[in-house]
Amino acid sequence: MIRTEDIHKHFGALHVLRGITLEVTRGDVLVIIGPSGSGKSTFLRCINLLVRPDEGRVFIDGVQVNRADIRPEWVRQQVGMVFQSFNLFTHLTALENVALGPIRVKKAPRDEAETKARQLLARVGLAAKEQSYPAELSGGQQQRVAIARALAMDPKAMLFDEPTSALDPEYIREVLDVMANLAHEGMTMIVVTHEMGFASSVASRIVFMDGGIILEEGRPLDIFEHPKNERTRAFVSKILR
Amino acid sequence: MAVATEHVGRTRAPPIFSLSNAARIVEMVIGGLLLISIMSVVLKFDIRDPRLWAGYGPNFVRGFWGTLGYIALILPISVGVGFAAGWARVSGHRMLAWPAGAFVDFFRGVPPIVVILFAFLFGVDFIPLRVQLFLQDVFGTSSNSLPFTLAAFAVAFHSGAYQAEIFRAGFQSISRGQIEAAEALGMRHFQTMRSIILPQTVRLSLPPLGNEFAVLIKDTSLLGALGATELVGLSQEFTAQIPISGGQIVWAFAIWSSVALTYFVMTFLVTRLLRLIERRFRTPGLDVMSL
Repeated sequence: MIRTEDIHKHFGALHVLRGITLEVTRGDVLVIIGPSGSGKSTFLRCINLLVRPDEGRVFIDGVQVNRADIRPEWVRQQVGMVFQSFNLFTHLTALENVALGPIRVKKAPRDEAETKARQLLARVGLAAKEQSYPAELSGGQQQRVAIARALAMDPKAMLFDEPTSALDPEYIREVLDVMANLAHEGMTMIVVTHEMGFASSVASRIVFMDGGIILEEGRPLDIFEHPKNERTRAFVSKILR
Repeated sequence: MAVATEHVGRTRAPPIFSLSNAARIVEMVIGGLLLISIMSVVLKFDIRDPRLWAGYGPNFVRGFWGTLGYIALILPISVGVGFAAGWARVSGHRMLAWPAGAFVDFFRGVPPIVVILFAFLFGVDFIPLRVQLFLQDVFGTSSNSLPFTLAAFAVAFHSGAYQAEIFRAGFQSISRGQIEAAEALGMRHFQTMRSIILPQTVRLSLPPLGNEFAVLIKDTSLLGALGATELVGLSQEFTAQIPISGGQIVWAFAIWSSVALTYFVMTFLVTRLLRLIERRFRTPGLDVMSL
């Protein structure tokens, strides 16, 4: 479904990604953990080409997408993304936020896009909030709208970049529940998160990244209970404390 | 960033004729009555004196229409120039940002009357004769009116420089994250501009723009210093003749009161119109403290 081969990325003198090779099969939920600055977010952005890898190859459904002859806009339509800071469009209602992508990018008729947007809002438990503006919603509600907005493009996979890190504790649950439901419905997901409860119950695999490389990869139980790598062990013991 | 509290949305725009509006209109009426009573009681003069208006009236009317004409010319140009320059400054292209920055710095740093004089006195010399002839043919501009038009452009550029900064602030206040989110949906640069950046920029720019328009309307009076057909210039012309033409010195008080009132009403109407638009498009989370 999604495969990366030896991804490298430099920001100036900083070598952020030093050769990331990964494969995610259909229906997989891959959770990436690691200390801040380890390149997790940059790696996610390399998959939908918000950041262009300097070296290496990104495949989606077997097609290499980081090529000059493939438009990044097309790639981004295939893979939805949810951000740490929600990034809802301030001037649009919840419904308009969700419907905008299909209307503008896929040229869907407005009423069709809005019908679908209503269904998606209902699916994330926000049917009653369709006319609310982002500023009128709680953080948890905003993030659920953001998930619906990404789903509206019918993505083949979803990328989550620390989706609960900016949330007050009382709103984390509702977002994780939506994500868990999505996983159970078979969505292919790559999630950067520090929510170990979510990782151990929903993830099919966990990857530990540090210093721009993958140090360890395995099932949740292996990573949390029997980490092989010294640094994985130190990191896991710190966050599971 | 996170607005955690679920405050009740105040999405309904307040009525246009709210208490504060009514209070403002009452203030205007009281001010006007005060002015007239000062004139009649203290100066023993009736502002409606037919001898004054027989002479000044035509000047006033001609000046008023002239001023309206200049505003109609200058306002759209200034917005166009300001928007383009503001956009250029945030475009990220050095070839656009640098000239726009120089433009803003120049017009902000030089007194408008100086720029206007330059445009009036020397502007024509920079326009090729062929273009001058073309303008004559198409717009009927005579070689006498061209310097005034150029001076009006100077006023427009002066205001445009300030508006550029307003639009630049509007552009820059849109979070990088929203642009990234639009890109992540697969939107192209142009679509992001049209659907995400522009609507928010325009909304955020409206309150400070209203302020700038009020300044611009009053700045058209600078053209009067050149002898342009405009309210302040023609009023000054008439006032200067009062002693020779056998009028009363106290007429000047009535003349300048009328001029002041006219500018006040024009700016009042324009800023209220803008506030009306502002309220019409009010969006929670996109508020700027308005003046």
